[in-house]
Amino acid sequence: MPAMMRRRVDRLGRIALQAAYDAHVDAPDAPVIFASRYGDLGRSVELLTQLARPEPLSPTSFSLSVHNAIGALYSIARGDTSAYGAIAAGEETVEAAFTEACGLLSDGVPRVMVVVYDEPVPAPWEHFSRDVAFPHAWACLLSASTGADAIHLDCADAPATSPEAADLPADLRALRFLVSGASRWEHATGGRRWRWARNA
Amino acid sequence: MLELEQEIKRLVIETLNLEDVKPDDIDPAAPLFVEGLGLDSIDALELGLALQKSYGVVLASDSKENRRHFASVRALADFVSSHRTKS
Repeated sequence: MPAMMRRRVDRLGRIALQAAYDAHVDAPDAPVIFASRYGDLGRSVELLTQLARPEPLSPTSFSLSVHNAIGALYSIARGDTSAYGAIAAGEETVEAAFTEACGLLSDGVPRVMVVVYDEPVPAPWEHFSRDVAFPHAWACLLSASTGADAIHLDCADAPATSPEAADLPADLRALRFLVSGASRWEHATGGRRWRWARNA
Repeated sequence: MLELEQEIKRLVIETLNLEDVKPDDIDPAAPLFVEGLGLDSIDALELGLALQKSYGVVLASDSKENRRHFASVRALADFVSSHRTKS
């Protein structure tokens, strides 16, 4: 990304963009879904703090505080006019992103890139969620397949459960399933049970 | 005035996160926007805010006037030195 655009991007955006640039190399025409549970929440804290003081709001922060700002900058930097999406779906953000990707694939797009990124919820809201313990980003290219290595994802109603104690944020548990070769992973959250399976 | 120009260059670099740009890289007479340094309209707003905070200058909404004040670092220094209410 040109330095004149990159200068406006914070840590979270930078790691998301790094993942996007790296993964996109193999399919530069693939439409992109940016998925983040909390997004760039630090900017919202900054803006609300300025508003409460009251101080004038930073126009740069304001322009970048929307959830699709990182994807938008990326598309501008690449001069790319293909489809871009920005998703936030709480604990189910990865599943929502993959569902959206499946929609695009079934429309006939050969490959879709999904970029997932999050960082810890900033003070003073950190007590609302400590699920994201560290900043991270990953990206992958998806294509439709019925072959031996195909991944199957479906969703069923399940009795509401309290969140499972987990060693990693949900998106990284999904990534672990994707790269580990494990045959299945179930992700129960709220009233739903997402079932990830390989060779299904 | 030279000192104020240097100060404004540092303010521009710091406020707009101009990576890898040093005060000496900025020609005080060169355009700040589009050509020259290549800043855009969001930068203009951000810079206006920083000038207001640092020097107490208030920018009118008259875009013609502002265009003149924001033409270059030198023009900004002229504007600040004649309108500042904070030292």
